[in-house]
Amino acid sequence: MPLVSVRSVLPPGLRLNAVARVFGCLGLLAVGLLCVLSQSAVAGRFDYELRPRQVAPDTWLVEGRRESFSTTNGGNIVNVAFIVTDAGVVLFDTGPSLRFGQQLRHAIARITDKPVVLVINSHAHPDHFLGNQAFADVSIGALSGTTTQITQNGDSFATSLYGLTGDWMRGTEVVVPAELPPDNPLILGGHRLRFLAFEGHTGADLVMLDETTGVLFAGDLVFYQRALTTPQTPGLAHWRAELDQLAQLDYRLLIPGHGPLDDTRQAINQMQDYLAWLDATLSRAARQGLTMTQVMALPIDPRFDAISLTRYEFSRSVAHLYPGYEEAAF
Amino acid sequence: MTIRSRQRPLSFARLGLCLMLGLPATLPAAEPGSVASGGQGSSVAGPAAPDLITPNALQDPLDSPLWDYLRQRFIGDDTYLFDPLVKVHVPPFAEDPSQVPVSVDARALAGRVERMVIWADFNPIQHIVTAYPQSDQVEPQLSLRIKVEQGTPVRAAVLTRDGIWHVGGSYLDAAGGGCTAPSMAAGDPYWESHLGEIQARRFAAPDGVLAHGGARYKFRVIHPMDTGLVSGIPEFYIEQAQLRGANGVALMRLELSPPVSENPVLTFDTGNTRNVRLWMRDNNGNEFETAVSAQAEGG
Repeated sequence: MPLVSVRSVLPPGLRLNAVARVFGCLGLLAVGLLCVLSQSAVAGRFDYELRPRQVAPDTWLVEGRRESFSTTNGGNIVNVAFIVTDAGVVLFDTGPSLRFGQQLRHAIARITDKPVVLVINSHAHPDHFLGNQAFADVSIGALSGTTTQITQNGDSFATSLYGLTGDWMRGTEVVVPAELPPDNPLILGGHRLRFLAFEGHTGADLVMLDETTGVLFAGDLVFYQRALTTPQTPGLAHWRAELDQLAQLDYRLLIPGHGPLDDTRQAINQMQDYLAWLDATLSRAARQGLTMTQVMALPIDPRFDAISLTRYEFSRSVAHLYPGYEEAAF
Repeated sequence: MTIRSRQRPLSFARLGLCLMLGLPATLPAAEPGSVASGGQGSSVAGPAAPDLITPNALQDPLDSPLWDYLRQRFIGDDTYLFDPLVKVHVPPFAEDPSQVPVSVDARALAGRVERMVIWADFNPIQHIVTAYPQSDQVEPQLSLRIKVEQGTPVRAAVLTRDGIWHVGGSYLDAAGGGCTAPSMAAGDPYWESHLGEIQARRFAAPDGVLAHGGARYKFRVIHPMDTGLVSGIPEFYIEQAQLRGANGVALMRLELSPPVSENPVLTFDTGNTRNVRLWMRDNNGNEFETAVSAQAEGG
């Protein structure tokens, strides 16, 4: 009798007869077997193949692809870089996912046995900070505007990255950065690091200049050979004015947020050129009364042909910015 | 007209959408009878008869499972054809699903255009706008921005005077969420004190857009265009608009639905008109009207 009463409280789906139980067990076994078999494949499939490359004394770059987010690249479209100081490693940006952060940490450990002592998030775009989780035991610093944006939008950024890259994102959760070190410049392990606050790309964009090596970690204030993105820019004129300031800095090597290293001072010029063209194109289109779909189909000056994703990012920028130009033209 | 055999793909998805919309689940089943009616009846082949050949069934170039249902709803059993002369311009993807630009252009059609019905197949509210050109002083063309809930075909069915519908369409890729996200206005009281404010401007014909010295009129009106699909925010949208020329002559009449984006931007192309006005009324009975001032011209 007690058994019967137990059975009667089970939900209907659990009242399996013997045949179903046997098949159920076989099914579970099959699922288990599949898991075991696929795990090795998955490990290979979700390898970002991060290969840090030394680009200056103590300075290493992990260069991302010049692509947009996809299930193939898993979000590895971003540059992250680190400085191996005598007092430990300073890491500039953490990549798009937990897996990326973990693999980055392993890659750093293959180069130095020094611990990571400081992590910097340049800004609040998901490809730059969603690897934070792998460095949750380290002090992570960012501009206060970045911290606010990550607190507000981090989860929805992570959600959309799940949609764009799929299982590469598994387990990724937002770790909100804290404040920057109080010293500026920060003298750490033989490196003098200056932090500079800008706004042109997202409203809170951090640039780090290593005055010891002359390396400028520009974050997404500078894209090079990869079309710039505009979803949160406070305005193209604002961005251009800040690029003028950036060009005044005493640096020898610029690490852009996306694209190759620049030791010829070309990256900022390319940014200025494209931003000026974009601004002029959108202004003229608005004055002529073009509709947004017409603007998206406008020709792009061939001098930007070598920049990857220009057409794609141009139509995104039209969506972000053209309504403002249209309003100004009324 | 083509003859083809067809199966009914994704009928479960169709049913699911109907259920989601609160429509009777029997709606799709009502279609078989329409095979006999009209010249272009929908073809229905149940899963049991996958190779049934139905005469006069046109293959939807966008292969949407909702085509027959929505065709029935918007143009009934009228004669239609898929016509590449009806251009529906959409971006390659919806960067902002609450503000997707759409331009419909039926100028290439020979016959006079009487009506243009624009909809998005996979939106929870499919109908976007119906435009009735009422004068040869206005082009059968309309640009506006819309909300989409997911990737969807965007259609324009254009009725010419001979009674034939010319159907154009484009597929819009989107991640989704434009219809069921609250309007920006819902979080910002700005609209309350600016409701119905209209910005308007006449543009000399942009290069390659209009010939013979025509004019373009662009309007932007402050309105939340709430869909009613967000909890606690009732449907509140502009449902009628009319473009009027000199002496109040009607140029084009519009019937709008909530998928038109918040703070609608409407673009019309006309002949060399002057003194154009736009009149609008929302579903709460508020009326708005503006004239385009002569000074606000540009080129």
